[in-house]
Amino acid sequence: MKVLLVEDNVELTQNVSGYLSKEGYVVECASTYASAIDKLAGFDYDIVLLDIMLPDNNGLEILKYLKAHNSDMGVLILSAKDALEDRIHGLELGADDYLPKPFHLSELNARIKSIYRRRQLSGSSEMVVGEIRIDTKTLEIRVANILLDLTRKEFEMFLYLVVNKNRVLTKQSIAEHLWGDYMDSMDSFDFVYQHIKNLRKKITAAGGKDYIQTMYGSGYKFNTNI
Amino acid sequence: MVKIISKPCTDRVTNSTPIFKMRLILKITIIYLLISLLVFMLGGVITFEVIKREVDFEQQRFLRERLTSAEKMIERRKLSRPFVRDKISIIPLDSGVQETKVHYSDTIVMHSTLQRLEPHIKLDVIKVINNRPYKISMYDLIIEEDDIADGVQESLLKMYLLLTFVVLILSGLTSLWILKPFNKALQRIKDFSLMRNQEYKYEHSSTSEFNKLNQFLEEMTRKMQKDYQAVKEFTENAAHEIQTPLTIASGKLEILLNTEKLSEEQSAMIISAQQSLKRLSKMNQSLLLLTKIDNKEFENVGQINISAELERQIFDFEELIELKSITLNKEIEGNVKVEMDAVLCGILITNLVKNAIRHNFEAGRIKILLNHKKLIISNTGEPLSIEPQLLFDRFKKGNQSQESLGLGLAIVKKICDVSGFEIGYKFKNDEHQIEVTF
Repeated sequence: MKVLLVEDNVELTQNVSGYLSKEGYVVECASTYASAIDKLAGFDYDIVLLDIMLPDNNGLEILKYLKAHNSDMGVLILSAKDALEDRIHGLELGADDYLPKPFHLSELNARIKSIYRRRQLSGSSEMVVGEIRIDTKTLEIRVANILLDLTRKEFEMFLYLVVNKNRVLTKQSIAEHLWGDYMDSMDSFDFVYQHIKNLRKKITAAGGKDYIQTMYGSGYKFNTNI
Repeated sequence: MVKIISKPCTDRVTNSTPIFKMRLILKITIIYLLISLLVFMLGGVITFEVIKREVDFEQQRFLRERLTSAEKMIERRKLSRPFVRDKISIIPLDSGVQETKVHYSDTIVMHSTLQRLEPHIKLDVIKVINNRPYKISMYDLIIEEDDIADGVQESLLKMYLLLTFVVLILSGLTSLWILKPFNKALQRIKDFSLMRNQEYKYEHSSTSEFNKLNQFLEEMTRKMQKDYQAVKEFTENAAHEIQTPLTIASGKLEILLNTEKLSEEQSAMIISAQQSLKRLSKMNQSLLLLTKIDNKEFENVGQINISAELERQIFDFEELIELKSITLNKEIEGNVKVEMDAVLCGILITNLVKNAIRHNFEAGRIKILLNHKKLIISNTGEPLSIEPQLLFDRFKKGNQSQESLGLGLAIVKKICDVSGFEIGYKFKNDEHQIEVTF
């Protein structure tokens, strides 16, 4: 998957590109509006990560450029402004999603993959991890052909873990992924624990491996190497 | 039981004292009238003195003229016997008596026609006519001092009353005209709002003081608006700029967390640091929100179905309520509409419901009541450790819950203020009760 990251902050660029490269993405970076337009004119990307506040122009102008050129690249806006109007404005202009800063890199990864999945209209909506098959359209998970009876939240949580497989996910990041920003972490940490416990039980009951590993002191990891 | 009801802060102060247009001019008029009273009194004394002097002089001249004609009569008649008539007596004296100067004196004489004693002016002189001395006395009715004083008093009093009357009426009328630019300026200052970024133009006046005032006001308001705009932009930009380094730091920690061979202790430290960053970011967002509400950036006021919003949010929080085994009791009237900004309505309800859940006991209770007049949310929980009236202040926490920022209720209060709602808190039957009156 090819990703173009348009962000003027060097440190943030390093963080994101480093993280996404490890995920196996090809990441290119542009720090200004002009260089972003240059790259977009010459190359094709699957996803464009767009910071709104750029030194030489508003990031939304890049979005307008893409739409004007009938591009079908996915666009994820990264913004320091968490204002509803900005969000609505960005989505109206044709962005696929909007992620306010600060964000968890695992959340960014999940959002990118989600956009990618939605855009692969022709492709299969199925993800396979070992003996587990996940259908992101029907929201079904099968372990060795046994359909799991999962709640919506359990499904979302499992997908989040799988998308970020072999990485440590903090309870905070899981909680925010599931309930958004307005849920306070402390309140929901027990909640994450409950859901994880149920999920594990359901997977192992269906004969699946116990992929979800508790990282003491930090969080959870979907470990495919066990 | 303490109840604090906060008044909605209205931007434009209600007009309890209408501008009293006569105030300044009345003051000036009264001072002017007092000064003229003093002048009139002094003037009265002077007028009295002058008139009295003139009258005395005229009377003496009149007596002297009569004396001259008396002398002529004596000379013509060659009087040898005393001659006594009304107001005159001529008595021939023995020769050898010296001539004297004319002497005036006041006396009281029986007035022949009035038949009563009246003050008179009297002239006494000894004149030698045809080598014979005569004692001549004559007198006449005088104009009394009292009469002069009465006359002066009466005329001055009438003049003074006329002056007062005319001055009051005219000053009232002219002040309407003279003070017109001033009153206009006052009205404009009253209507002035920093939030509305309008140009400020004052009318030109023919009074130099008012022109100066208007110029000053124009400059002042322009500067105020400029400063306000700058502060507003600075606050928002600063708040946004903080999010980027927070994202970087949090990202680095996330990468660090995924490095090999971290001890449990190290992981815990990273998590703790990340949580602090998260708190900082939330605090920043909350303060930004408060600033934005202050800056009137939520002016999209419309009819909001608060019943639907409340039901939706309760649904969102249901999991959390269940997790804490809280019993929820709701009486929500359908289709309650309130006039407010939609975004603020969402934030208001989120904060209130979240608050009721967070500061609750395990297996506690929450009661939510909504009707077209008010929204009451009550919950069980630890009693407040602060004064109830401080509850809605920034960074005041009812209990020192680690996660709580102490900004949630400050935001709730602010939203109520700008939406014109009243908010009150009381602790009743071991329950915290927050009441929003629409």
